[in-house]
Amino acid sequence: MTTAAVRDGRRGGTPPARPRAGARRARRREGLVGWAFLAPNLVLMIGFLFVPIVVAVQLSLQETRGFGDPEWVGLENYRTMVEDPDFWRSLANTVLFTAVTVPIELAAGLGLAVLLNSALPARGLLRTLLVLPMVVSGVASAMIAVILFYESNGLVNKVLEAVGLSRVAWQSEGAPAMLSVILVAIWLRLGFNMVIYLAGLQSIEPELYEAARIDGASKWQQLRLITVPLLGPSTFFLLIMNVIASFQVFDVIFVMTGGGPSGATSVLVTYAYRNGFQIREQGYGAALGIVILLITLVFTFVQWRTSRTRDLAG
Amino acid sequence: MATTARSTLTLGMAVITALTLTGCAGFGGGGGSGDADDDTLTFTTWASESEQAAFEDLVAQFEQESGATVELNVVPYEQMFTNIDAQLGSGDAPDIFRVDYGNLGVYSSQEQLLDLSSYFSDEEVDAFTPAMWEAVSFDGVPYGVPHQTDVSALLVNLDMLAAAGIDTSTLPTTQDDAWTWDEFAEVATQLRASMPAEQYPFVVNWQQGGVLRWLSWLFQAGGSLMDEDGTPQIDSPEGAAALDFTRSFYDQQWVPPASTPTGTVYADSLFSEQTTAMAFVGSFLVPDLDYFNEFEWTALPMPRDERGATDLGGNALVATADAADPDLAAEFLRFMASEDAMSSFCGATNELPTLTALEGDAVEFAIRPDLMPVFVDQATTIEPQDVAQLTSPAIAEIGVAMSTELEAAFVQGQSTEDTLANLDAAISEATGS
Repeated sequence: MTTAAVRDGRRGGTPPARPRAGARRARRREGLVGWAFLAPNLVLMIGFLFVPIVVAVQLSLQETRGFGDPEWVGLENYRTMVEDPDFWRSLANTVLFTAVTVPIELAAGLGLAVLLNSALPARGLLRTLLVLPMVVSGVASAMIAVILFYESNGLVNKVLEAVGLSRVAWQSEGAPAMLSVILVAIWLRLGFNMVIYLAGLQSIEPELYEAARIDGASKWQQLRLITVPLLGPSTFFLLIMNVIASFQVFDVIFVMTGGGPSGATSVLVTYAYRNGFQIREQGYGAALGIVILLITLVFTFVQWRTSRTRDLAG
Repeated sequence: MATTARSTLTLGMAVITALTLTGCAGFGGGGGSGDADDDTLTFTTWASESEQAAFEDLVAQFEQESGATVELNVVPYEQMFTNIDAQLGSGDAPDIFRVDYGNLGVYSSQEQLLDLSSYFSDEEVDAFTPAMWEAVSFDGVPYGVPHQTDVSALLVNLDMLAAAGIDTSTLPTTQDDAWTWDEFAEVATQLRASMPAEQYPFVVNWQQGGVLRWLSWLFQAGGSLMDEDGTPQIDSPEGAAALDFTRSFYDQQWVPPASTPTGTVYADSLFSEQTTAMAFVGSFLVPDLDYFNEFEWTALPMPRDERGATDLGGNALVATADAADPDLAAEFLRFMASEDAMSSFCGATNELPTLTALEGDAVEFAIRPDLMPVFVDQATTIEPQDVAQLTSPAIAEIGVAMSTELEAAFVQGQSTEDTLANLDAAISEATGS
């Protein structure tokens, strides 16, 4: 059949033109309604997410202080990064911070959720206490942590001394400093993990546990073979959220240690801030920001492709 | 019916979108200096409580005398330059802002500030301490007025010194009888021997942005960071002497280990809580310390080696290149740097003047006036070549490298040779020499 024949067929065909046009109009209208629904979010995402990312990419290809005339340097900032030992150290610190905080947050969040899902006295109060750090500003919490871990006369060292232990160099030695920020970060995020797991737990049918008990499953077997697998979507969601939060940790470290001592707690975002706003190498700071974005995207993509329970998430 | 509902929905969504867009526009802020009428100046600064009160008084006085309006915007110090950078980048900067002498070089070298050459006569320029006028100039062009200065001196806790067996009646009070490095080391040794492990003889105020205060020790040793062309000169016997002496502060446990250049524990806090018996602190902190300290304390000159030296603290007031009314902005700067205004500001805030007419005891300080002669005397140790180095446009970048290298030398075992060589390279890179 030729094109002309098709055209002729249409011209002489029986189906009326009006209903077809009406269907098209309806589809178009439906499409418009869909876009209208999307519009507010799209506008916000374009304005506050996509445009800044494009500007950051552009900035990362320049040498600029943020004012004055920028100089186009191509990939020079990225080349500098590859040879910058402080960048690699910050990346290693970020990976270490993530590798330690995420499993503890997940495990402790699950443990607390299971505990507070059972019939416990003052359950509501305990839940509230655990979630409280989540609703307090990160900077305010970190300020409290500074007072606790203050090396010369902080509360933690005073308690250690009172029980006969030696003082810990929380602010002048790398390992204790890293430990202090990890402890505070875990304390801040534990409540969030617990709440998500608690919601997940309440969607598991009690009959499953009842059947398992009848079959002679122990408490541990119930946790391992029923609770943990059925909380897969929650774990997937929390894993992604915790890893992103750990890769983007800033407020706690910035306030508590400023990345010190001697860069021992410098992570990618504090290092990017230092370059972008303290040293005024905004191009290099933006390049670091783009690298953080890429690492986070790659991790999320890999998790998305490999997680068996992803379709249930969200 | 369904069509009507959809149309209504579409319209509703369009309205929401429009509102969202309006909201977005709202986030952008506005009200830049370009909108201001001719008789209005915008002035952004950070300020302590006493500084804010002094600024408010002077602004009111200027408004009364000139008939102009000055919108004073006091912001936290931590946000000051991030905001100013962003405002300069978006063409929305205030007409006037306060800036330290190190940051001034960054802005003036990028042509962001108003050239004040035509607004100040030679006679008016000569009224300022030459070193301070130098501090606001770049390539010989003035870009601001030196509003006040501030230097560090050595504050001592008299009770703790007496407890260590040091005769507090023989402490130095002037540059002529200031301790030498050796005498200072002897005092520190004596204090260390008599103190428990969690207390320390002294602390130096070189944390974070204060890292350039290490240069006081370099200058005392007779050394310099770079010459007038930006060629590094730190890799020298004087540089090695300064580095070795300051490294010994940590090796000998004379200073708290957390008080390194990248540390977040500040000298005035450690002194105030009596973790240290002595502290190198600027005079601008005297009002705060007077309020917090619960012990007898006084100020001594900084120790000297080949010469006396101290850091160049203090701030200038500058007008931006795009100021709506440059003449009015310059008039305000001239007023703020006038003898009467400077005298009342410095007196209220324990800061030091930059006009030669106010040198010596011309300013009446409001708090602990007994300590201020030591700071005034200490300020005379600043030499023009120190100022030229401390206000170089490259100094901010050099400071970052200094922070890393000094930290490595003080607590990570990096050798003197490597540290000086690394600093040398960092200066070359920053100055392009």
